[in-house]
Amino acid sequence: MSGKAKRRAFALLALMVVLSMVLSACAAPTPVVVEKEKVVEKPVIQTVVVEKEKVVEKPVVQTVVIEITPTPVPEFNWKQRAGETITLGLSQHPWTNAILPYIPQFEELTGIKVQYQIFAEPQLRDKMLIALQAKSSEIDLWPSLKSREGLKYFRAGYYEPLNKYLEDPNLTPPGYNLDDFGAGPLGGETFDGQIVGIPTIVEGPAIFYRKDLFEKAGIEFPKTMDDLPKAAEACMKAAPEGTYGVTLRGLPPAVAYTLGPFIRNYGCDWRDEKGNSQLSSPNCQRAIQAYVDLAKNYGPPGFVTYSYPQSSALMASGQVCMEIESTNEISTILDPNTSQVIGKVGVKPYPPGPGGHDVPTVLQWGNSINAFSKHKEAAWLFMVWSTSPEMQARLQLKGIASPRASSWQTPEWKAKLVEGDPIWREWTETLQHIVEKGSGQVGPPAVEQPTVRQIVGDMVNAIYLGTMTLEEATKKADEQLNQLEH
Amino acid sequence: MGRTLTPTPEAIEAAGPAARRGPLPHFLQALLSRREQLTPALMVAPAALFSVLMVGFPFGYAAYLALTDFRLASTVPAKFVGLANFARAFQDPVFHKALQVTLTIYVVALFLEVVLGTYAGILLGQKLRGIGPLRMLAFAPAVIPSVAVGLIFVQMYDPAQGLMNYLLKAAGAKPQPWLSDPRTVVPSIILVEVWQWTPFITLIVTGAMQSLPTEPFESALIDGASSFQILRYITLPLLRPAILVAAMLRTVDLMRIFDSIYIMTQGGPVNASMSLNVYAFTQGILFSQIGYASSVMLVLLCLVLLTSGLFGIIRARSAL
Repeated sequence: MSGKAKRRAFALLALMVVLSMVLSACAAPTPVVVEKEKVVEKPVIQTVVVEKEKVVEKPVVQTVVIEITPTPVPEFNWKQRAGETITLGLSQHPWTNAILPYIPQFEELTGIKVQYQIFAEPQLRDKMLIALQAKSSEIDLWPSLKSREGLKYFRAGYYEPLNKYLEDPNLTPPGYNLDDFGAGPLGGETFDGQIVGIPTIVEGPAIFYRKDLFEKAGIEFPKTMDDLPKAAEACMKAAPEGTYGVTLRGLPPAVAYTLGPFIRNYGCDWRDEKGNSQLSSPNCQRAIQAYVDLAKNYGPPGFVTYSYPQSSALMASGQVCMEIESTNEISTILDPNTSQVIGKVGVKPYPPGPGGHDVPTVLQWGNSINAFSKHKEAAWLFMVWSTSPEMQARLQLKGIASPRASSWQTPEWKAKLVEGDPIWREWTETLQHIVEKGSGQVGPPAVEQPTVRQIVGDMVNAIYLGTMTLEEATKKADEQLNQLEH
Repeated sequence: MGRTLTPTPEAIEAAGPAARRGPLPHFLQALLSRREQLTPALMVAPAALFSVLMVGFPFGYAAYLALTDFRLASTVPAKFVGLANFARAFQDPVFHKALQVTLTIYVVALFLEVVLGTYAGILLGQKLRGIGPLRMLAFAPAVIPSVAVGLIFVQMYDPAQGLMNYLLKAAGAKPQPWLSDPRTVVPSIILVEVWQWTPFITLIVTGAMQSLPTEPFESALIDGASSFQILRYITLPLLRPAILVAAMLRTVDLMRIFDSIYIMTQGGPVNASMSLNVYAFTQGILFSQIGYASSVMLVLLCLVLLTSGLFGIIRARSAL
């Protein structure tokens, strides 16, 4: 090869190497960028941070020790951990999007530097499992889904128990008011009396629907589970060409969440009184068949790969009549930057099934502190700041369903219900219904939730794809579920 | 009569024992004096130590784990179970499916990559003006990280909202289920792999093209050979070593295929796209069964060594 060609080839190779290194370096950190949402409104509730805490509302009346002079409430020392750095592991979730713009306020208030890494939910879970197994102190605080991994992680000692922080007046500001949290959400974060997380959001599966298309088709929201296919069909006919009737979850690890209420509304449950899996019983089979039929007859073709990101994208782009998804998705569906259906969507709980059964699924997400963290108190300060009544009320306005009762009673929220999009009223009612009547059993009770969810999801996919009949698939799932420890 | 360039006896004396002795066949180097061996050994030691630690330790630990029932986040210590994990693997229908999928992807993708890559490599190996930027463009897919490629293709493959079906519909063709149907998921993944990694083979072949001697081509032209004959009897045989190297490198990567499958389908639907690597990962990390996962990984390792060993033999034979 001539000298000139040699040099050119070498330069090309060198460029390739540099290019690949640069591109891999760029791709190495978290593959997703979260757009920082502009904080449009000035914080209505003041940077409470700076104000002196008002004296506690309820006067303490001691019957035994007579103490009439109220003790002056000391100002809470937010700067007690100034100079430390905490690292948060966050998932791509509406709560993350909602809290990110406020983090600089926290840093200013406390002098604690906050670093965070954002992952898709499954990847954050994988990462945390490995980090916790290795007793790593890299991540101080992260959202952990207790209904999925809570029991397992609690037994393995991965969560920092929070009772002592809550009882320490130096670490928990007055007015934090733990009683404000609903019994269900807080109970979901507690194991054997130990509180291992603070709830940040309550959610449950519900049905988002296109009011405009329903009106066009002349139908009302389905009154029973059996009416769902009819509504999907009628809506599809009235809608523009290419619109689907309903979109729901088909991705195996995610299916149990939206399938659970079907199972219960048809009068069945994951396990019977003896603890045996009963998916092959008649009512459960009806429920599962109903789920699969909706997907097959009225759903988008990519069903088996669908979870909330895909379903909500379909809904937000106006291509589907109904979306069976978590109430969380309201902020994605109504995102002003991407949604084409603002003002046209409503939301309601699942209708009751035959026999009037109506048992939704309710769950909460809660942030937990890593038991091996080296900055537990600083992480705790972030925890109480981000879950304080004031912050929770702010997030509520963005569509983060608060686990605190007070957030639903603020004047700002009430104003939103009256003056804002009517969907917020429906959303509030839906959540109230879910919280009141919901069961926390997202999937069949078991210690190894991931395995259990996969079994349920694979069962649904097998029936949908026709690789197994309803009978075969449900029997196989029962066998597999009965072998697992629960 | 000219002066030869042999050194004088005094010069040899001065140069040291190695010069005195002259060059040795390599198996006799072992009889070198200790002092002569020490320096090269010391130079190589850090790299050797690093290799032993980085390769040997994980392998040894994985072999140990494969013989236990170690579980992540477990409250009980792991116990020794001998070859139970391997027995389980050989009876596991999903393991068999994973093996089948891995081999299918390997054979089909390798074949397509080699054929298309060699073709593109020969085209781009020519000395033409302006071929430089064209080469850069052709090499681009191989430089993009697989995770990014997977994420993009997942969106493009969405049957309802993705670009692929949009283009198919626009062209009047039937929209495909792509990743949502067990029958089309493996071809869809092979498509992504071939798209991304054919440029790798192209790169190697192009490099080889530029180092080919020109005389055989010139004499062939003089003898009146057709371009097809030149291709078949001269170009391809001369490129053979490079193609074999490229195929061997791709073999190792294809057997271990993970990124694209995990990002796009996580092995679904219903395990239709499960490769051995993804299966081991899901068993180990998602279902916390590290012991079982390690045994699957060791089987995969044997498979990779086997196939790359085969290529090594083919290369050695063709070099003779």
